[in-house]
Amino acid sequence: MAWISGVGMVRINRHYQKGLRDLAVEAASQALRDAGVDGIDYVVVASSSSYRQVGQLDLASYTSSYLGLRGARSLAVEAGEASGLAGLLTAYSLVASGAAETVLLVGVDKLTEYNSGEAYDMIEGLYDVEGEGFYNIGHAGVAGLLMRLYMHEYGVDRLTMSYWPAVMHANAKQNPYAMLRFAVTPEKVASAMPLADPVTLLDSYPLGDGAAAVVVTRRPGQVRIVGVETATGLPSPAHRDDPLYLESVAEAVSRLGLSREDLEGIDVMEIHDSFTITAYMILETLGLSDKGRAAKDLAEGKYTVEGDGPVMNPSGGLKARGHPIGATGVYQLAEVTMYLRGDFPGVKTNGARRGMVISMNAMGSSAYTALLQAE
Amino acid sequence: MSIARHWRRRHNLYRLIGTRCRSCGRTFYPQAQRCIYCGSSDVEQARIDGEARLLSYSIVYSVTDEARYEAPVILGLVEVGGVKLITEITDASPGELEVGMRLEPVLRKVSIHGESGLIYYAVKFRPAMGGDGSGED
Ligand SMILES: [Zn+2]
Repeated sequence: MAWISGVGMVRINRHYQKGLRDLAVEAASQALRDAGVDGIDYVVVASSSSYRQVGQLDLASYTSSYLGLRGARSLAVEAGEASGLAGLLTAYSLVASGAAETVLLVGVDKLTEYNSGEAYDMIEGLYDVEGEGFYNIGHAGVAGLLMRLYMHEYGVDRLTMSYWPAVMHANAKQNPYAMLRFAVTPEKVASAMPLADPVTLLDSYPLGDGAAAVVVTRRPGQVRIVGVETATGLPSPAHRDDPLYLESVAEAVSRLGLSREDLEGIDVMEIHDSFTITAYMILETLGLSDKGRAAKDLAEGKYTVEGDGPVMNPSGGLKARGHPIGATGVYQLAEVTMYLRGDFPGVKTNGARRGMVISMNAMGSSAYTALLQAE
Repeated sequence: MSIARHWRRRHNLYRLIGTRCRSCGRTFYPQAQRCIYCGSSDVEQARIDGEARLLSYSIVYSVTDEARYEAPVILGLVEVGGVKLITEITDASPGELEVGMRLEPVLRKVSIHGESGLIYYAVKFRPAMGGDGSGED
């Protein structure tokens, strides 16, 4: 059994004044203060590409040292965009196995250290570099292919697709840790600059720097980790019979032993909405929306605090809270923990008892999920 | 991308060589030592060819610095002889593209290596010539 006893987050932004290590230490210090612990057995650092960003290897031990945790056991974990949840799986396993009593998990990435061309080059590597990554896919090209496929297959128009970013921006406006704290209309999403047509700038996550941390412990507290699971997917969506179905997400969730009815009973989720289309693919893969229906369900109010279904991404999601690649999963965990404690300083999810995180890399090369419960 | 990686892959990029699994019968791109579907090592190289169709496409404006001079790039989800793969579409303007249209393979430049100026080539697809695009030959 394991609990999350403390959380810390730095607002996602272009942090020109702060280095990667500064961000990690800031978030981790907050989490340690929040948990009120002093004995840390392990430090797990989740980051997608710190070496590309700032030239640093063995990131975990340098982070531990500058946190003042001399002698702590420390290791880094990388799983692309899912690094944060891969870090949780590591921390949870250490605690559940008895190898550690308390683990500090820190997620950190810095995407704005260089120009955006360099960042795009880095995040193209989230896709299979021996497969479609050989071609000029950019960071949004595969999302563009899947979005057009979805719209064509299910007859959904561009404007209906655009509700996800509008809802996410409305949520992020209330979240002090979010990068994009402004409202956008569905019309504005649909007519924004194209990144990978039909994907526009407002369908995509922004490039930002961030760090978040959680403390995972064997000592019982307010928020229990019910389970953490993962599954590997096929290398490319082109390898799937239905490129829009995320087999790895479905497998990870079923490994937690959850049925569709169980998922409908979850109060709040943070899901991996790297692009508008990714959010709809996840909602339909989970069976919460029928195929081709997720955009329409959302446009009709489902998944919001006032509507039916689990509340999706009160934080604003990757879309508007932001997506510092390897750190994002730890933000999701910190947010869900706060929803269950009732102290999140943004959209209120009153009385939420069960919360879930869905994370993945690229278009499902791997998927992770965590289920948390208020005790 | 490194020059060495491109050289290693030149055969399957120039002629679109994939993998056929003798155990489960599936064929996929690219080349692999084991089947990504069933795990079998009883696999052989397979030329990916046959009728090609456009399943979806995207006009990509946001590309890496190496490909800046190629932008916008047309990316395609293409089915070739029953095998789906993601590739580039060339010799076409975005307005000509239609989901379901017939395509044909052609060798084209993909990008230029930053330091050496070496040009990388690979198979891309273009709208099929001499047909009406409906697939009826
Ligand atoms: Zn096989």
